Amino acid sequence: MILLATSDLPDSGGIVWPDLALAFLAIILEGTPFLLLGAIVSGLMEVFLPADLVRRWLPRSKTQGVFAALGAGILFPICECGAMPIVQRLIRKGVPPAVATTYLLAAPALNPLALASTYLAFRNQDPWLIVSLRFGFSAAVLIFLGLWLARLRPEEMIRAETISRGNVPTNPETSFQPRPGSGGLSQFINAVVRDFLNVLFFFIIGAAVAAVFSVGLNRHLLEPIGQNPVFGPLAGIALAELLCLCSTTDAFIIAAFTPFSTAAKIAFLVAGPLIDLKLYWLYRSTYTPSFVHRLWARTLGATFFLTLIYALKG
Amino acid sequence: MIYRTLTFFAPAAVLSAWATVMLQLVVSGRIHAMLSPMFRNDVLAASLLLYALSVAYLVFHDPVSAVPESLMPRGKELGRWLLLLLPVVLAASFSSTTLSASTLQNRAPTSADAMPSLSGESAENVQAALSSDPNQPVPLEVTDLITISHTDAQIQAFNGRKVRVVGLYQPDGSKLVRWIMWCCAADAMPVSVTVNGQTAGAAAITNKESPWAEVVGTVTFPSTLGHIVPQIEADSVQPAKEPDEPYLSP
Repeated sequence: MILLATSDLPDSGGIVWPDLALAFLAIILEGTPFLLLGAIVSGLMEVFLPADLVRRWLPRSKTQGVFAALGAGILFPICECGAMPIVQRLIRKGVPPAVATTYLLAAPALNPLALASTYLAFRNQDPWLIVSLRFGFSAAVLIFLGLWLARLRPEEMIRAETISRGNVPTNPETSFQPRPGSGGLSQFINAVVRDFLNVLFFFIIGAAVAAVFSVGLNRHLLEPIGQNPVFGPLAGIALAELLCLCSTTDAFIIAAFTPFSTAAKIAFLVAGPLIDLKLYWLYRSTYTPSFVHRLWARTLGATFFLTLIYALKG
Repeated sequence: MIYRTLTFFAPAAVLSAWATVMLQLVVSGRIHAMLSPMFRNDVLAASLLLYALSVAYLVFHDPVSAVPESLMPRGKELGRWLLLLLPVVLAASFSSTTLSASTLQNRAPTSADAMPSLSGESAENVQAALSSDPNQPVPLEVTDLITISHTDAQIQAFNGRKVRVVGLYQPDGSKLVRWIMWCCAADAMPVSVTVNGQTAGAAAITNKESPWAEVVGTVTFPSTLGHIVPQIEADSVQPAKEPDEPYLSP
């Protein structure tokens, strides 16, 4: 609808298919090495990390685990493409899905590199305020989400295949089976190939959707409402959901949106790394559709609530 | 039998196809139009790893003990493999080398003060240009002119000087454009300077497939609606070769 509306604007360029292919490939090429790295780490965990050890390391309560996962997100930052196979493996090794999911969400959102790039992007526009608001609001939304996740049962969150792959030797979707007697190397290779292809499938769909909006969305469509206290944060969230930028890049793009209020820019910076159209599909590789929809609604709702209060008080 | 053979070879085929596409983009240099230099070695390493994985998969996968039938319906599983294979191959075949004027319109900043903050390399270029021969056109990037426009002292130093700037020529708006890329083409943003004056050579560029042009002229920094916008009064606009790096780093 937005794309159709865009094509009616006098300044709109619409979609050019070779540009769409270029943007799609660019997203794929940027993310695939990290996805592969994540699958390799996941394969190593499959072979060398006993499930008992993982369980012994974990905090006793899920709530404590959620806060530990928030800290891990800051200390061990990894992009969302690389994190997904690792999180799948952690869940199969016995890490509560609430804890693993909190880490998945926190790693790109509280990433120190993302905060440093935010400072650089806004260095002419009160950078410390923007960095503080980004970190503070992201942490608040993550705590809200983490506490909600801690109340959910694993089967409410995780696809059955995600859990079963760790317990049965075959993958019902692709019939992978290691050669008998080939030991740890075979186990490693099969785990890497399985995890990589499984997440890649959803990554392709997400990248295609992101590429459509990357080239076809007129970014000035939302500018007229960017200063409004109520609609500004909504515009920021909508832009983040459609453009699907990485958390280390997004600040440079939104910093150039001068018609947007600070609240709208913060809404963009908080919501985007937690979930967007690309991440929606990536999350679907591990979680049930209903859970992803609820996660989406809560993330955007909490972001809107915080930024709206900031806009009204400011 | 055919179906079992297909599902046996499919993972290795997909891994090899991805590795080939990635390697081809790196070797041909087309990756320059897609990805920032800091990620290109990752793609090369990933393509080699994917080749190795596809071979290792064939070596370590046991077709004899594999389950007789996949639990997923055949049509759905075939669709899954095609989705893993076709989009990336088709995109590699049909992608452009430069983002078009249409995408430029969708992504262009609306005002001069919306230009992104630039640092590092551009500031160094500007410093080097200050000490160059004032009688010769100074080679500068579009981003350098924007960097200059942010500082009064540099505006005074460069105002009225001859410059030589290469970029994508947009004849309809008389602009010279460069794309700035942070990570990949999906986050690239165009920046531009206005070109006035001698644009007779522009017709040759408009009719060519490549919109790259070299503009030689006098730079000024007029204030428009309170914002300083670099402007080149062109002596000549000539077709130019595409730079090795089509995108500029911020």
